[in-house]
Amino acid sequence: MQKNSNKSFVIHIILLFLVAASFSCEGIFQFNPNQITLKESEKNLNAKNVEQIHQRTPGDTLRFIFMGDTQRWYDESSDFIKSANAQPGVDFVVHAGDISDFGLSTEFKWINKIMQKLEVPYVTVVGNHDLVANGPIVYEQMYGPMDYAFEFGNNKFIFINTNSREYQFNGLVPNLPWLQSELRDNPDNKNAIIMAHAPPFDSDFDPKLQAKFTDMLAQDPNVRFTLYGHQHTFKDGEYYNDGVHYYVTTSMGERGYLLVTSWNDGYKVERITY
Amino acid sequence: MKNTLIACCLLVSITAQAQLSQSTAALRKWYMPDHIKFQFAGNIGFMAGGPGYISRNKTLETDLLFGFVPKMIGGDALISITAKTTYSPWRIGLKNENYVVPFSTGAYLNYTFGPQFDSKWPDYYPKGYYWWATSFRPGAYIGGKIGRNTIKRNKIKNLELYYEIGTYDLLLISYVLNPKFLKPSDILSLSLGLKIGF
Repeated sequence: MQKNSNKSFVIHIILLFLVAASFSCEGIFQFNPNQITLKESEKNLNAKNVEQIHQRTPGDTLRFIFMGDTQRWYDESSDFIKSANAQPGVDFVVHAGDISDFGLSTEFKWINKIMQKLEVPYVTVVGNHDLVANGPIVYEQMYGPMDYAFEFGNNKFIFINTNSREYQFNGLVPNLPWLQSELRDNPDNKNAIIMAHAPPFDSDFDPKLQAKFTDMLAQDPNVRFTLYGHQHTFKDGEYYNDGVHYYVTTSMGERGYLLVTSWNDGYKVERITY
Repeated sequence: MKNTLIACCLLVSITAQAQLSQSTAALRKWYMPDHIKFQFAGNIGFMAGGPGYISRNKTLETDLLFGFVPKMIGGDALISITAKTTYSPWRIGLKNENYVVPFSTGAYLNYTFGPQFDSKWPDYYPKGYYWWATSFRPGAYIGGKIGRNTIKRNKIKNLELYYEIGTYDLLLISYVLNPKFLKPSDILSLSLGLKIGF
């Protein structure tokens, strides 16, 4: 009798484990902070969102929001959505990186949940905080390649990983040969807008590649201005006196972003705080 | 006379048996674990298991658990080791050798193996560039358990089934700083476990 009830106790436990395992894909059961369990709707978002951007009809004037550094500022990022959705005529939003703070897939999911409340699609560029722990795997599964480009209207947008410190300044990040080929592959001379996380004048940008990078931008007549995040403060200036204007957006913690408007013979970059 | 002899023999044998079981308890080496645990989920592995010790008054358990996450389930194959201490102040006896432990609380320190996880950030980062270690994760939880004392002479003294609801440092910080967007359920997760006591 005693033996039988012991046996049934063990069977019950095994059943319970099986039941638990069967609905454990999301939420209530977590196996390791560094696990990467993404739903199909949370994968390859940049390509999916670029496709959505392409479904829009480009006007003569392009307008997009450049924001970033949402890391651990979920309440402030939620407020950003309200401010962004109130801006008229916005085609899309660009996240300048540091989506997460600790490189955890949980954080990436939270930010995606917030960003999906935008009325327009959003795309991202990778930040240094997105590259710690399993962050690189999460980023590539969730958003796609760290270097990519797309065209919309009379513009070519180029997104490049500039977080050299995360690669021990190995001389391969940012990938300058790739950038050069993307800049050259522009037969219609569209406005080339390069966006990245760490600006070239930041200490996290490989000092060996800084001059090569900025020269590459300066020598391309299609590059008028370029956009960065990372520094948690607004900045702008012609840092290298070469005709290219560098802009830095602030963090969500500082409750600000850039509103970029571009047309054929001009552009405007406004600092917005909310 | 014969009866007295038999009675005497019985008494001696019972005493001897009692002494024997006492001496086996004494012979059990100090480092032999008091129990083993198997745990499902709880941020220390898909499954984790390992030996543990319990204090004399049966309120404090300390465990060393080896955990793994298969790639199919966690998106990356992860191996970790966890030191864990649980305090359970009360035990309520029920019928048929069953009992309930209504409240437990505890903390753990988890270490996940892998070249992508750092305990000390490499020299190419300025001091304090990132303030946390990616390999070590401290966490805390509350829970409860039900148990059953098994028949004596068996090597297994008791079986317990426990649950724990917990979180870890990085999620807790995120929650504290974002009370509007994050709900407690966003940072809490459940784990289930089995303890086999010797």
